[in-house]
Amino acid sequence: MRRVAITGIGHTIFGNLSDFDLVDVMAYASADALDDADIRKERKIIDQVIVANMGGGRLNHQAGIASSLVSRLDLEPAMAELVENGPASGGSAIKVGFATIMSGLADVVMVTGGEVMRTVPGWEGTDFVASLLHPEAEYNYGLTLPAFGAMFTRMYMDRYGLTERDLAILAVKDHENGEKNPFAHVRIPCTLEGIFDSPDANVVNNYIAEPLRLYGMCPVSDGAASIIMCATDSQKIKHFSKKKPVFIAGIGAATDTHCVHERKDPLELKAVKQSAEKAYRMAGISAKDVSFAELHDAFIILEIAISEEVGFFERGKAKDAIAKGITRISGKLPINTSGGLKAKGHPLGATGVSQVHELVKQLRGEAEKGRQVKDPKYGMAVNFGGFGNNIVTTICSKE
Amino acid sequence: MDDIDFKVYKIGKPEVYAHKCPECGTLYYPVPMICRHCSARRDPSGVFYSSWEKVPLSGLKGKLLTWTRVYALPVGFNDRYLLFGIVELENGLRASGRLLFEDPKIGMKVVAKAGIVREKVGQDVFGFMFDVR
Amino acid sequence: MIINELEKKLRPPEIILDLYPPKVITLANGQKMVVREAKREEIGVLLETVHPLMGVPRDFYDIVAARMYAELLGWFRYRVTNEFVLVGAINGVIAGIVNSRLVDENIGMSLHTLTIDRGLRIGAQLFAAKMEHHLEFLGQKEVWIVAESPIGFRRWMIEYSLENREHLFPEIRHELGGVPTYVLTRALYDAVRKYKVSGQRPVDPDLLSSTDVLKAPDEYPQIPGYKRSKK
Repeated sequence: MRRVAITGIGHTIFGNLSDFDLVDVMAYASADALDDADIRKERKIIDQVIVANMGGGRLNHQAGIASSLVSRLDLEPAMAELVENGPASGGSAIKVGFATIMSGLADVVMVTGGEVMRTVPGWEGTDFVASLLHPEAEYNYGLTLPAFGAMFTRMYMDRYGLTERDLAILAVKDHENGEKNPFAHVRIPCTLEGIFDSPDANVVNNYIAEPLRLYGMCPVSDGAASIIMCATDSQKIKHFSKKKPVFIAGIGAATDTHCVHERKDPLELKAVKQSAEKAYRMAGISAKDVSFAELHDAFIILEIAISEEVGFFERGKAKDAIAKGITRISGKLPINTSGGLKAKGHPLGATGVSQVHELVKQLRGEAEKGRQVKDPKYGMAVNFGGFGNNIVTTICSKE
Repeated sequence: MDDIDFKVYKIGKPEVYAHKCPECGTLYYPVPMICRHCSARRDPSGVFYSSWEKVPLSGLKGKLLTWTRVYALPVGFNDRYLLFGIVELENGLRASGRLLFEDPKIGMKVVAKAGIVREKVGQDVFGFMFDVR
Repeated sequence: MIINELEKKLRPPEIILDLYPPKVITLANGQKMVVREAKREEIGVLLETVHPLMGVPRDFYDIVAARMYAELLGWFRYRVTNEFVLVGAINGVIAGIVNSRLVDENIGMSLHTLTIDRGLRIGAQLFAAKMEHHLEFLGQKEVWIVAESPIGFRRWMIEYSLENREHLFPEIRHELGGVPTYVLTRALYDAVRKYKVSGQRPVDPDLLSSTDVLKAPDEYPQIPGYKRSKK
């Protein structure tokens, strides 16, 4: 039976790359993937290029980005398209690439996600991301994605007794992981004293949207990540002999209502649950078989909420597991070993691909010193679009 | 020239509307293009299907479900911060909107008012501003 | 001290300023930054710190560094009146410098803010310390503010709700290029003080004396690969 193997990965540093052209940044990560797969000279075996990007039109004034990338890398005549799904563009692009291979339309697919957002000042970036919201019932008010992250957090705190200090403890863990990741945007670790307990914490870690603070939100980042996938039953697989392949074991996606207020229980992330269930079913596993996960923590509360929604912990109980150290790299179920969006950064189009990049790195046993999960078998990535209304879950396996 | 409808120049007072499905009467805010309950269609131009009746919502009582104080506002807002919340109205509808009071608490009793939430060129945008009651 | 007649003419009239009481800020990464007033004798290490940034064209570092360098020399050589300089030091190494001056007892003129260490909100906290000194310790009524960077400036405009006095231009104008001015009054400052002003007093004497001999930074995140030439 045809399976999809990930045979090459590439990643740029995440941070301020606003001096560089968007497609150049994407091409750099893509070329790193070509080199990782050792097919730089044989690059024309790629049949299809899929690009994940959200802001290219508005922030970088570029359209037809996928075609542009093909030429930048001399990959003609490969097929090329853009997939846009807000912050879940990366996950969706991988899903579309997977489907292209499984349908037989292509044997080798390159998926590259990238974003250069720091060309505009913060308030314009906020406005751009807010365009994901419903134009009449949400955007017009000046509501932003962080505003919804904050309202979700407050409801969660009220219902389950989570405190701001619990969130600070989680931020310390994510930044500890980010410090060890050479691609991470933020590599300065933080201490619980510095961001919460000290009397200066109120200024140093100020509210952005109460109750979420500076250390409860991901930074605004530029960057790109790329993966190369190949059908296991294709002749072309023989080009990828340098590294052990990692397999896509399951993929699922689902949508929920556009407006957050239209959900029966705004704390229930139905689309997360449904997309995870589809991915588990395809992979033939359940939550307890997952060795480690990359969960979309654009707002730190999401690392907690998603981990419960996909079945890792009971509702309301994730904070206890975090306090016990279960989600640290050395723990039983490491979460966001890359630093998560919190410390690694969140170039919107790149994130979904960056998450899978981390899954592959860990499953190959190639993670940096101090960051390697012990003997992982299944890794899971959950990519969150809008505010919970479009989710893509990808499960990768070593065999 | 046939009669001009001068009513279109009337400066309206701010109002926020729900839309009502003509077949099953369900209220929506915001309004979809297909009714979730009876699958009736909507045509915003009103030519091929009804554009659905508008029901004013200001004055309705509600309960605050959650809230936030946002400091980092997008382009077009020069305030240091703004307060927002999600409210459940007495007719079962829910909405997000601005809060006009300083110390919100979950469960607080509020009333829906309509106001100008954003100024666009040539047209003011009306939306919910919730106040304590 | 007898100052020769010509020198006296070249020095502007002076107000004797109270000293800024030092404080210590706990940064997000747990490090402690001491914020204290700089002394005239420390001019060497201050200039040494600012100098390399004159060569960084991005984010307006070059013009801010060049202007601050001139203002520091002016302060040192008694050619700028009523100026004060505050430094933020981590483990004795300068992390940021802010300077400002007084027009008279009531009006302050904010000059510059230069941060070397990034990612820890040091610039914002040193700027707030500057305002703290003007309004709380020096008892001024208001501070005039302007900036080179439009992005940084808009953030201050919004975060401090600065009073706009553009319509009074050119009677009210900031001396750094004479552009229209925004003003921080005592009332506006009091409204945001608890969100902006950090730091605890008094500073532990050992910690404070660790900053007695200030050092210029060996590395600048703004200048990758920088190496200070040892003479």
